[in-house]
Formats: sequence, C-alpha cells, structure tokens
Amino acid sequence: MSTALDRQIRPIYDALDTQSNKSAVLACNKVLKKQPNNVLVKALKALALVRLQKVEESLLLADEVLAKKPTDDGVLTAMMHVLRGLGRHSDIVAMFETAYKQHPQNEDLGTQTFFANVRVGNWKAAQQVATKMHKQFQDDRYLYWSIFSAVLQANDMATPEALRPVLLKLALRLISSGNTPSYFNPDRFYVHLLILRELEMYDDAATLLNHEIGQKICETSLVCDEIRRDIMKLKGACKQEGEQAKVKILEKKDRNWLEFLSLLDATFWDIASTSEPASEDVKAAVTEEIAKTRKVFSEAATVDGLKDRSGLLALLELEKRTKSHGLWTDACEIRMMAENYFSQFGDKACCYEDLLPYLAFEGEELEQWTSFLNSRKSFDTPDTLQRSINVYKLLRYNLTSAELTPELELARAQEYIKVYLDGLKFGVNLPDTELQPADDFAILVGHAYVSLWKLTGEESHLQSAAATLEYASARSKQSYRIRLLLIRIYHLLGAPALALDHYRLMNVKQVQTDTLSHLILSRAAMWSLAPLGDITYMSECMEASQIYMSNSTEVCNLLLILFAIVMTNIQTAEFIARAFSTERYSQIIDFIEFEDRLDNSLQRDLMKVEHVRMRVAHEPLNAELVDMELIELKFIFDRIHHDNRDFEVIPNYQPRCQPSFNEQTLPLKPPGAGWLSAYLKVYIRAFQEASDLDETVEDKLLIGDRPKPSNDPENQLPLRERLVKKRQEEIDDLSEDEKLFYEYTLALSEWVGPYHDYVRPPPSALLAEAAKSNDLKPGHPLKSMAAAANGSATNGHSKKDEEPPAVKESPELIPKFFDDMKSRFDAVISGTALPSELLHIVATTQEAYLLFALETVRFKPNSIIKQYKFGQLAQSFKDLRVKASSILNEMSTVLAKLGEEVATPDGRKAFVQASSSIQDSSGFDHDFVLGVAKKTTDARKQTYEGIAKGLAKVVKNHS
Amino acid sequence: MFKFNNINLDIWTETYGISFYLTYLSRWPDLCCVQEAPNGHMMGYVIGKAEGHGQDWHGHVTALTVAPEYRRLSLARKMMSLLEMVSDETYKGFFVDLYVRCTNSVAISMYEGLGYSVYRRVREYYGSLGLGRASKDEEDAFDMRKPLSRDPHRRSVRANGREFVVSAHDVS
Repeated sequence: MSTALDRQIRPIYDALDTQSNKSAVLACNKVLKKQPNNVLVKALKALALVRLQKVEESLLLADEVLAKKPTDDGVLTAMMHVLRGLGRHSDIVAMFETAYKQHPQNEDLGTQTFFANVRVGNWKAAQQVATKMHKQFQDDRYLYWSIFSAVLQANDMATPEALRPVLLKLALRLISSGNTPSYFNPDRFYVHLLILRELEMYDDAATLLNHEIGQKICETSLVCDEIRRDIMKLKGACKQEGEQAKVKILEKKDRNWLEFLSLLDATFWDIASTSEPASEDVKAAVTEEIAKTRKVFSEAATVDGLKDRSGLLALLELEKRTKSHGLWTDACEIRMMAENYFSQFGDKACCYEDLLPYLAFEGEELEQWTSFLNSRKSFDTPDTLQRSINVYKLLRYNLTSAELTPELELARAQEYIKVYLDGLKFGVNLPDTELQPADDFAILVGHAYVSLWKLTGEESHLQSAAATLEYASARSKQSYRIRLLLIRIYHLLGAPALALDHYRLMNVKQVQTDTLSHLILSRAAMWSLAPLGDITYMSECMEASQIYMSNSTEVCNLLLILFAIVMTNIQTAEFIARAFSTERYSQIIDFIEFEDRLDNSLQRDLMKVEHVRMRVAHEPLNAELVDMELIELKFIFDRIHHDNRDFEVIPNYQPRCQPSFNEQTLPLKPPGAGWLSAYLKVYIRAFQEASDLDETVEDKLLIGDRPKPSNDPENQLPLRERLVKKRQEEIDDLSEDEKLFYEYTLALSEWVGPYHDYVRPPPSALLAEAAKSNDLKPGHPLKSMAAAANGSATNGHSKKDEEPPAVKESPELIPKFFDDMKSRFDAVISGTALPSELLHIVATTQEAYLLFALETVRFKPNSIIKQYKFGQLAQSFKDLRVKASSILNEMSTVLAKLGEEVATPDGRKAFVQASSSIQDSSGFDHDFVLGVAKKTTDARKQTYEGIAKGLAKVVKNHS
Repeated sequence: MFKFNNINLDIWTETYGISFYLTYLSRWPDLCCVQEAPNGHMMGYVIGKAEGHGQDWHGHVTALTVAPEYRRLSLARKMMSLLEMVSDETYKGFFVDLYVRCTNSVAISMYEGLGYSVYRRVREYYGSLGLGRASKDEEDAFDMRKPLSRDPHRRSVRANGREFVVSAHDVS
C-alpha cells in the first residue's frame, strides 16, 4: 500500500476502532470520491454501515466487494466482520474458499478457510481444507486438524448413522499416515484413543495405553486418564484397574474418588458383570474380595484421620454395595459405619450430604440410629452447633409418615426456632459479610412450615415460614439459601414483587441466568403487569437472554484459538505461544458441547415464549409483531433442547417419604420440553394465520443464515402437519387449565384458518410490494408490509377465483372454554386455594382472549367483511368477544376487590395472627411480624390490582 | 459452569463472563481444577494462569473458592498445593501470587498459613460489595506471594508489604 493511501486509510481504521462509525463512513466517502473502485475502502464502509444498522446499504456494498473475489488480507478481515454482522456466515466461508483457490500456496488463507468452516460447524469442508493443507505444507498439525474434523463430523447430529464408522475409520487411517506417532503430544494421543473407543477397538487402545509413553501421558494428562478409565471399563479390565487403584490409594496416598470407585467396581466385578445369578463359589470369592477391600479402605481412613473423608465414605459405599448384591452379613454394618463417620466428621457442614445415600434405615436400625443422633445434640460451641444442625437434619430425613402429623411438625418447627435463636449468639460478632452459623436451623423452620402447609392446606403456615425466613435473612444477609426459599414462598403467596427483590439481591449474572432465571421467569407471564405497561418481567427476560447473544461468537472464537498454533493477533509472551503450540483437541469437544447446551438451552427458549406472551399483552397486534415473532419462533421450533436449569441448588431437608422442598413449593409443574413445544405450536399457528407471510415469501425476504436442519424423522413432516399434532409429552407437561387452553387454541385455529387462507394476499403480490420498498432489515423483514396487512388488505391483488369458504358456526369448545374458566375461577375464589392458582386461571383466560383477538384482527375492517361476505362470521366473532369480555371484566372486578381486602389493617392482623405460632415460642416481636405482614399483603394487593387493571385494559384494547 | 451455583452465589466469589472461563480453560487447562463430591455436587474450584516476564514469571491464582457446605475440609489447601506444583514443575515460575480483598480476613489468614505474605496493597482493585461500610478496605486488595523452588533466596517477597500501596492502574 502506498504511503499516500495509507495516510488516507488510517483515519478510517481509527474511526472504526473508536466506534465512531459515522465519521468512518464520511472518511470512506472521501477516499471513494477519488478512487471509486477501492475495494478495501468499500469493505470498510460496509462495516461502518452495518454497525450503524444501515443493513440495506451495507448489503449492496458487501455484494459488490464479494463479486471482486478479494484476496487481500485487509479486505478479507473487514468483510469477515461485515458478513458476521449481517449473519451471513456461509458467505464468509465462500469468500475465503474463493481466495484460497486463487492462492493455494498461501498458508494463511488456508488457515482462514479452515477456521471459517469450523465457525459454522461445517466439518466436512473443514476436513477437506485441512487435508489439502497437509498435502501442500507437510505439517502434521494440519493432518490432525483433518483427523479431528472427521471425528467431529462423525459426532455431528446431522451425520447419518451409517456414515459415522466410515469417517472414524478414515480418521484412524490418517493417524497411521502421519510422520510422528500420536503420542507426540497428549492431545493427539487423546484424539487417537477417542477414535479407537468410538470404533470399539479396545484392545488396540489398551496396547497404546500399556506402552511406556502411553502410561506416562496418562499420569500427567487428566483428559487422557479419563478416557483411559473409560476404555478399560468398556474392555472389561476392571480388575486390573482395581489393582492399580489399590496401589495408588495405599502407596501414593491418592485420594481421588475415582480410584476408590475403581477398586469398588473391581471388588464386585464377578457378580456385577453378569446378569445370571451368582453361584455360591462366586459369592464366596467376592466376599473374600470385600474383606480385602475393606482392609484397604480402613487403612486409608486410619492414616488420614480428620484430614480426608474418602476412606470412611468408601467404607460406607462398600457396605451399601455389599447389601445391594445380596451379600449381607451383618445387618448393623452400615449404621456402624455411618456412626463412625459422624463421630469424625459430624461437625462439618458436608456431613449431611455425604451420608444421605446410606441412611435408608428401617425398624431397629432406625431406632438405634435415632438414639445415637439424639445423644449428640449440644449447643456449647460453634462446632457442636454445626454438629447439632447435622443431627436435626439427619433426624428429619428419616421421619416416617406416621411421625408427620400437623401437631408433631408444629412442635418441630417451634423447636427449630428455639435452637435457631439460641444459636444466633455464636454469630453476634461476625461481620455482616459472613454467614450465620445457625442459618440452617432457620432453613429447617422454613421446611417444617412448608410441610405443615402441605399437610393442612392452611396458608398461614406459609406466612409463618416467610416471617421466620425474613428474620433470618436480615441477620445473615449473604445467605442465598434463605433467599431461595423465600422466592418460592412469596410466589405461592402471590407476592412476586418480593420474590423478585430477593432474586436480585442474589446477584445472579452471566451463565447463572441460564441455570437460575427459572426461579422468577417460569410462567412469568402469569405475574406480569405487561398490559399496564409495566415491563419489569419483559426486561428481565431480555436481560437474561443477553448471555446467549454474546456467547455464540465467543465460543466460536475460542474454538479457533484451540485449533491454532500461533494466532497472528496474539503474540505476547513466549509462554502464550507455547501454550497454543499444543493443539487442545480434548477441550474442543467440551467447548462444542458447552456451546450446544447453551445455544439450545431450554430455559433460553422458555424465556423467549414468556416474552412473546407478555409482548402480545403489552403491544398492539400489528404485522410487525406478528411477522417478526413468527420467524423467530419458527427458528427455535426445531431445536433439540437441553435443560440446564439448576433445581439442586434449592436446599432440601424434607423427610425422605415426602417430596422435596423444590417440588412442594412449585406453584405448577415446571415447564419442560413438552410445555415449550405446546406453546410454540400455539403461537406459531396463531401468528402464521394472522400473518401475510407464507413460507415462499419468507424464504425470499430473509437475510442471513438459516438454522441447520436436524435429522429427526419427526421434523421431516411439513410444518403445518406438525403444528396440529398433539403429543402426549406436551399434554403431560401442561397444567389442567393449560390443557383446556391448548384444546381451545386448536379448535380456534381450525375454525378460523380457512378464512385466513382465503383472504391472505398471494405471495406474488407481497414480493412485488417488498421489492418496491428498500426498507428491509433483518429482524424486521416485512416492516414495509405493515400497511398492507393492517388496513387495506385488498391492496395489490385481485379477487380470487374460488368462492370464499362457507361460514361455519364457531365450534362449541370456544365459548365453553370461557365458561369453564369462569367456573374454575369461582370455585377457587370460594375455596382456600393460593393466590398463585387464582392468578394462573386469570392469566390463562386472558391469554385465550388475546389469541382470539390475534386470530380475528384480519377480519375487523368493514371492507373485508363486505368484500368476502363475512357478515355472519363477524357476528360470531362479536358474540364470542362480548362473552369473553364480560367474563374477564368480572374476574377483574373480583380481583380488584380481593386486592382491597388484603391490604387493610384487618388483612395484616389476620396474617399476624396466622403466624402466632412463631411468636408464642420465641423472641420474635409482634412488630417484626407485622412488618413482614405489611410487606406481603401490600405486594399481593399490588399484584391483584395490577392484574385486575391489566385485564380491563386488555378487554378495552381489543373490543 | 451449569453446576457452580452453590459456589458462586456466595458473596466472596465473583461470577465472570462465559468467555472468561473459556479463555482460562483453553490456555491453562492444567491450572484449572474442580473438586467434586461423590454425589456429583461441586465442592470448589481453582482457576489460575501463568504470566509475567523474566524474573517476574509466575503463577497467578485468579479464583479459588469452596462452597459453604464444603468448607473446613482443607479443600482450598489441596487445590493451592496443586496449583503451586503445576506452576513450579510445568511452568517453572518464580512465585505464585494472588489478590484478596483486604476485608476477607478468613482467606488472608489461610493464605498466610500456607506460606504466603503480603507483597503490596492495591488500591481500588475490586468493585464495591455494596455493603456501604469500611468501603476502603473492601475495595482494596492485598497482593500476596509465595516463592517457589526457582526463587530460593525469596527475592519475590518482602516483609513489610502491607505498607506498599499502589493504585489499580499500576498492576495488570
């Protein structure tokens, strides 16, 4: 580049670097005036434009540049960013491929082409590029790129089953063609082992592993060791593994739990490896093995003492497995071991979780265990306090249903409160960043009251739980566990605002939103005041979704780093180069899996659906909303979802004969894949009918790449057929009210569908319309057509030849649904159901009303009714609308009245009286409970009134 | 990362962006380690890196944390010794260093027990915890160091490190 030109171009880069995109465009224009054919400047301008959201202009420029088949590094880099911004990843691949073809000796272009393919997961092409590079440049690194690409292709969901072994065998052949053996570095060795494992060539793998270098690698590389264990297990070499583990445990003092498991597996191998009943001889032999293993574990336990708990835990596991294989000798063995463990580690917090799998005692054993525990209660020091906490938790775990009467549970709750308040003295001097040692007693109180609520159905117990936990939370501000319980209880009590407060105080961020946002966003539409313009939950959804956007590109970039030896843009310390010089193939698989789990996260798309539900309630139902959401929902419809939600983090100290705290406090069954599928179908159907967009139009107008089609035979059916197909797993996931709703939507779209199809303008008219407009943007592909759909649908297309479909009466199911919901509502109001149940009914009815509005908006204009002679249809719509409106208005009135009642002094008094049990026994003063009462009742009032007003507004907007 | 909530909801543990973790896992996988309980729950993890030039080449503890329910089991000690071993043997560093909030007294005394000493105090290294008190101590960090076998003369540490104050701009 000449210096003169360099001087002109530098300011463009500077502007781009500082995100001054407008001045970058100006600078580009200046250069382009003199050199209208400068490709680099065009590319840079396209970049600035795409950043300014001027998609249309950027598209034109980008196409111009691509047509020139650029090979210059600067142009390619700029274009890569442009095309990424436009979502045209496949064009990036094509661009680099073209460039590399022109300069096959350019290693850098080859690498870029390979990376571009990796980025879009195009393993087949990546493999071909790498093979070509290996031939050209004779570097084994490229050989392994090609090998690993073949492995990844074999792992890809889209690859047909029959092709997989072929690819793996190809990879194996390639390995043997290399100049250096695979144990040249651990990651190449790992790839080799992986292929052998997938091909079930365990003996070959074992030969490699038993080789001196193989053993050495496994000693230092955790990933190779992990796959080694796996292969040995598959090969059935458990006993050999057990022997090695024994040596490691005794001589090297290795306390890796996996070693203990290896030894355990080996001990029971002769019984566990066959399905046939074991002979007496085998039993005797195994019993002998058990004795030997017991000695090893005991020795480890003795040596370690208090330093490590593995030995004692392994002994427990040994006894448990002995029992499960019917080799029971001494009935009290497990209990003795548990007592032994408790004596050593009873004052550690992990004790409860460690012991849990071993404590299913019955009869006499249970009695002895209980009396053992009872003798261990004491509250003198912080250590004995922790031990007592374990005692109480362990006792609670083994309570039988006979012991779970309301009276006994109440007595327990009061005892927990007492010891909790006593225990607070140990934390008086702690800074407020520390957890209170007695916290878990408060958590137990919460459990006991929730159990009481389940036993009696009395809401007052939940109020007591809330009051105690609030008290504890104020004393231990950092205890997220207390907050988790409160979030659940406040939802049940109809005070979602308070739950949201606690959630925010937990400071959930980044990847945690994927695993934890379910706490507040599961069926959030039910709490949302979106019709009133309160978008708290909507923005919470948007915020939580952010991580997925930024992540996909991040993971891609990292994948590239992993493949690379020296990245051009990272060249600092000698060390970094060295770290890259080892190709980290083992990480690549993990990263791809991670990306898949995050991209296809169930919670992610559940949030999307919640957002749509709220948006429909919040915004006018125009073409912009309908078309955009239709496209987005169709994008996620084919995904195979992973559930990353974390329910385990919610503490559970309920007795083993009861459901967990999590299960007890869910207002409804948590939405799963079936729920998501049902709601996606509901909304896609409704949007499809309301939209003018049919598939041919959509295809032509959409910019950017489509999701990869999946291989599931189910997905091969036409979309229309799939949308009306009900699946059992969907039904299983829905609540009773949602089931009614689901049926209702099916009936509705079946009824209205034919009229939509008839009235919808033909694709040719739409495309002509779109071509006229130059306002296309991704995400708003059909903004220009809002007008066409909204008012004058007769625009631009002639009357059809066929007769309009005969107008049918509305299916009975539709009015019946609203009647059913009304009677559900009345029944719940007069009963003792919780606020959450009431709100669920209201929200479902409102949603049905909104979908009705969505499905009928097309037929509103008088011109349409006249043109197609839909007078009768319009009358049916009107009748239904009037009916539904009156039911919703009625619900609104009742809710508003309930809201008034709840937040009066009387309402608060009722709350305080309800939680009198916690005041009798303890130092909780009346004012504190009154404070919680006020907060809770106010929040409930706010919810009731908000939703009542929202209902009225929805009715008004769509009448 | 999908399973670390029991650890990261704790106040002393920072949750970073996804790319942060992935970068560490891709560059220094041998300095990252998770400890799991037999029931599959995460007990704690350590994330580290190797950095610096010449005499300053060292291992750095980016994050070390143990879930509340698995504390007081010497897990942190074990993970620290693993990290020190890898820094020493694989990366041949001169020392290991780490930053800790000046208010996190429990952690400081543990590190001192492991042979670490304060090298300097870094002003306003951390964001506020939002507790609104003693905010100066809260946002400042101690840079603590422990020499490894390549530094037998203990050149990387000093006795009166608490009095050396630098601002956050001066450290990387």
